[in-house]
Amino acid sequence: MASDLKNPIHQKILWDRLISITNEQSAALIRTAFTPLLREAEDLSAGVFDGRARMVAQSETGTPGHINSMATGVKHFLREYPPERLDPGDVLITNDPWYTSGHLNDLTVATPVFHRGKAVGFFANTCHALDMSGRPLSADAHDVYEEGLYIPIMKLCRKGELNEDLVGIIKGNVREPAAVMGDLQAQIACNYVGATRLVSLLEEFALDDLEEVSDIITGRTEEVLRQAIAALPDGDYSSETWADGYDEAIRIRTRVTISGDELAVDFSGSSPESSRGINVVYNYTAAYTTFALKAAIAQDVPNNDGSFRPVRIIIPEGTILSARRPAPVAARAILGHFVPGAVLRALSPILGERAMALGADSVWLTTLQGKRPPASDFSYTFFVMGGTGARACKDGLSATGFPSGVAGCPVEVTENLTPILFHKKELRPGSGGAGRFRGGLGQSLELAVASGAPYRFGVTCDRTKHVALGLDGGAPGGAGTFALDTGEVLNDKTSRVLDRDRRVYLDLPGGGGYGDPLDRSPEAVLRDAILGYITPQEAAEVYGVAVRVSGSPDELVRLEEDYRLDLGETRRLRQQMRLGQQIRQSTEGGEKR
Amino acid sequence: MRLAVDIGGTFTDLLLVDDDSGEIWIEKVLTTYPDPSEGFLNAVQKASAASKRPLSGVDVLVHGTTLGINAIIERKGSPTALLATEGFSDSVELRREQRYVMYDLLLELPEPLAPRNLRFGIRERVTSQGEVLVPLDTEQVAKLLSRLTARGIEAVAVCFLHSYRNPAHETAVAEIAREVAPGLNVSLSSRVNPEVKEYERASTTLCNAYLQGRMAEYIENIEASLAARGFAGAFFIMQSSGGLTSSVTAKELPVRVLESGPVGGMLCAAHHGRVASAPKLLAFDMGGTTAKIGVIDGGSPLVAPGFEVDRRYRFAKGSGLPVRAPVIELLEIGAGGGSIAQLDALGLVKVGPESAGSSPGPACYNLGGTRPTVTDADLMLGYLNPAFFLGGEMTLSPEAAEQAILNDLAGPLGMDPREAAWGIHELVNESMASAARVHLTDRGKDPGDYPLFAYGGAGPVHAFGVARVLGSPQVIIPLGAGVASARGFLTAPASFEAVQGWYRTISETTTDEIGDLLRHLEDQGRAMLATAGIPDDRIEVHGYCAMRYEGQGHDVRVHLPGARVESKAALSEAFERRYASLYGRTVAGRDIKLVTWGVIAQGPSSDLRLSQLLKSADSGDGALTGQRPVFWPESRSCEETPVYSRYALRIGESLEGPAIIEERESTIVVGHRARARVDGFGNVVIDLE
Repeated sequence: MASDLKNPIHQKILWDRLISITNEQSAALIRTAFTPLLREAEDLSAGVFDGRARMVAQSETGTPGHINSMATGVKHFLREYPPERLDPGDVLITNDPWYTSGHLNDLTVATPVFHRGKAVGFFANTCHALDMSGRPLSADAHDVYEEGLYIPIMKLCRKGELNEDLVGIIKGNVREPAAVMGDLQAQIACNYVGATRLVSLLEEFALDDLEEVSDIITGRTEEVLRQAIAALPDGDYSSETWADGYDEAIRIRTRVTISGDELAVDFSGSSPESSRGINVVYNYTAAYTTFALKAAIAQDVPNNDGSFRPVRIIIPEGTILSARRPAPVAARAILGHFVPGAVLRALSPILGERAMALGADSVWLTTLQGKRPPASDFSYTFFVMGGTGARACKDGLSATGFPSGVAGCPVEVTENLTPILFHKKELRPGSGGAGRFRGGLGQSLELAVASGAPYRFGVTCDRTKHVALGLDGGAPGGAGTFALDTGEVLNDKTSRVLDRDRRVYLDLPGGGGYGDPLDRSPEAVLRDAILGYITPQEAAEVYGVAVRVSGSPDELVRLEEDYRLDLGETRRLRQQMRLGQQIRQSTEGGEKR
Repeated sequence: MRLAVDIGGTFTDLLLVDDDSGEIWIEKVLTTYPDPSEGFLNAVQKASAASKRPLSGVDVLVHGTTLGINAIIERKGSPTALLATEGFSDSVELRREQRYVMYDLLLELPEPLAPRNLRFGIRERVTSQGEVLVPLDTEQVAKLLSRLTARGIEAVAVCFLHSYRNPAHETAVAEIAREVAPGLNVSLSSRVNPEVKEYERASTTLCNAYLQGRMAEYIENIEASLAARGFAGAFFIMQSSGGLTSSVTAKELPVRVLESGPVGGMLCAAHHGRVASAPKLLAFDMGGTTAKIGVIDGGSPLVAPGFEVDRRYRFAKGSGLPVRAPVIELLEIGAGGGSIAQLDALGLVKVGPESAGSSPGPACYNLGGTRPTVTDADLMLGYLNPAFFLGGEMTLSPEAAEQAILNDLAGPLGMDPREAAWGIHELVNESMASAARVHLTDRGKDPGDYPLFAYGGAGPVHAFGVARVLGSPQVIIPLGAGVASARGFLTAPASFEAVQGWYRTISETTTDEIGDLLRHLEDQGRAMLATAGIPDDRIEVHGYCAMRYEGQGHDVRVHLPGARVESKAALSEAFERRYASLYGRTVAGRDIKLVTWGVIAQGPSSDLRLSQLLKSADSGDGALTGQRPVFWPESRSCEETPVYSRYALRIGESLEGPAIIEERESTIVVGHRARARVDGFGNVVIDLE
């Protein structure tokens, strides 16, 4: 096909082909990877970059933290290795948290593509390594040196030959060398798949390089994003949200300024850097910020270099959202996950039905280490999710990750792989914040280790003190709890050794409600009562809805028809409660005055 | 005589074959709601009348139905309860705790088939090693079951933790049910889907329990009506896996017959592959709203271990209820004749997944549709004949098509309407080809090895273009593509796939254990086939083991000829060979995990002599019926192009592209640098340069 880049059909075909190539690239990676995080949660990203290291297209998988941080990462590769320092068959690598996605466990591999004797671009992918020495994912470290092996930007392959010196260093440092090297091979191979396909695409369309296509794609994307921003009312929109943090509460102060077709997000005033590994690098905060903006205002706009141009993100260095080297950053995901909620909350006045109350936000990353009978050790990590915030037109989602895209792990799989024994994993009734639309429910877990030996347990629990706030009159979601069967409530992120007989209780936080609970439709409240999301008593006390339950108190099987709305009583209750609200408001108002 | 009845969403297709005389009869009637058996019996009656053959002369009747899928989508199954291990009764609502689309703030989750008030925690616990930690509280179970029936619950799904390893507690529940609640339909997860992962297993078992009553009622009703009309032959139901099963199995395991709809066309393609010695094919079915793509390898369709039903977003993986039951693997793409072309947020042309459907339909139907569709583009490009759509049953309006394309696309883009029409045609081909490419490469296959076997209303129109983009060497368009599905039904063998989750490493497993398990699964399959009247000595078995390196998340299916494993070493080698062929490398120093075992017991395949179909074709003289201007990308203009009638083309006849070949159900497009011929089976075969 002769290329006619002016033809909008050809533009579209080229664009779709580039996305399709990156999908092939990531499919090749997912199929052969070892890291459970990667394959279960698609905790990876893959993309194609032009000769100026601008991202042109990206695979349709991945979590927000990776998707957007890789976009800027490849520019650093190009700076270190300009075309004259690259040969065909070279492959570059780094895990620099500040250049890429924020902690040492993410390896980014970038492969230059040569076409007609010239380096025309890169294929890059970021994926989570099973281990990178040090203290993976833990918030316990005091600086980044403690956290693991650091690989500056360097060549992983030179002219097609593996850099054995580097490989030796990696193998000698990581806990699972075979799996880590297996994943690295997959990362190299998938870029190769992409590169081969790109070269044949350029041949087919008789193109010398990607630059003109890239200008069109990124230019068009930028333009559309500018239009979407211009459609929003100008102004300053701000929020202040809180997270538990490691040893002290973390404030996230967000100010979004919309002016014409440009948008700025300013996190000035957020808490300072922490001495523990919950710090976030600029790149990672920016990634979650652009995720939130895209979901809120430009869902259909693709990810490429152009989608970042109209947006300015300001994060003063030294704040917890833009930590400086060598601050510890291994558990950067915890606070990273709070960023979209903060941005969406700031924007809520102009989001219409997309406005959203806060949710559990952070995934609870749970890590256990101990003995596996008869004579080996185990170390295991899994994710647990709380509820999401209610939307302005729908209830929140129960036990569902947001903004993270990771998945939980089946109980049966965990129990097969480890001596962990679950006693409970169920929804947590009553934890969804009340509102016209209810927040998603959290979940309750009870577990222990059936090895007859002490074990180490840590969980990155949050929202135990700073709950998910409701919006527009909605109530907050239930607070999370991390406790032991001794009754001791721990509610912290420190990992500790537990006695062999100890059971751990995890109650995951619920999402905040949206709107006044007294405005919730009585039928929706009735349904919540039937499904046991709330008790009939809560229906009356919180929502002002009278739900009558017939049948004997020890009835084993309760059907929908056993529950009935008492509309007369509901009207009376709601009137009374509204009156109470008004009185409270006027007294509070009076006090203020 | 053999009879196939395929009930689809819109039409019920029937194909009656008299194997002695070689005659065939085709009936197409509208599917009837709410009781599809009405349309079924109506079609049977019509065929019987048209052929003047009584139903008593039919030896074999094969039936496929969408009843199960519809019952789930419309939530019209039995009131069903779920019994789970205490503390784990929410597994079907917790799912995998994941959003299935990243950027949609308004997404919704699938609704479990058993509401939370009908999910019960039972005191019992078995460990991952199969040891009983807490004995089953039989008293609790007995009380609950009798109360459930008393309150009108008709079905119960039982899914206890690790029951794939030790089913004793689930089996005990079934025994108690027989005593205290004999009318209750009980589905045990250890029977329906004995594989690891509680959410998927519970979801599958729930679907089964939810459908058992409906399926039994439906099948018994049809069997009785057929018997009353004199039918005394063998009655088979089509499974999602492409094998036939007895009505006994279908009633016990309705999850196995959920997706019989798209299966027929794939079987038709596979049958062609077998008789024409074309072991590798890419079946390509393009209809009004979607296109489906499936891989045929070694003359058989690829079978996947599961699928999703009732998706919230049709094309979003994870938005539906998971069902783990063998299913012919099909990739569905939102691209069909009715797919709407429009400008997307970026001002670029986007085709589908939004569809004009059959009402209002494409603009050229003149039924009120004003938005341009793929069919409108195909008409404007000269590929379709406005006077011979559906064999002339419908007249199309080229003016309306052009107007729609001009208004919505060509105008805003400042393009020539014909160029815009070509853009739509090209884009829809591109999107199908790129989906097919990812599908194939993901399975370690090279698109260049796969001829396209194209059917469905729009398949033959687009197959040539798709093949060109994909790099396929050939396009095959079967004769009688309109009843490809019913045709496929008559070529299917009876089969049953018995599955057992294992989830242990090879070093934790002994060769004896493997032998015992495979024999057990084989016995299960043979017993199922016995209910379909297949003599034991006509049954063939083969097996597979889904394996992976310890620590990986994706399985590689290793084929076990004869469902036997000689030794563990042989199994490891077979795995490494397969792994290397897929990914070009093996991984040293990792143990191998045996995830799932499966044994497929299969009866003899039926043949369908294609001469039967040829005979029915009209014969006339002079296949060239005229010429018309058709757009070709090579000249970017309309060229006078010869038009042929398919029914007048003789076996062995060949013609040079560009050309158009018209048939009742579709139109075959043959572009430049290609040659079409009619092969010995009456198929049109296009060889691409």
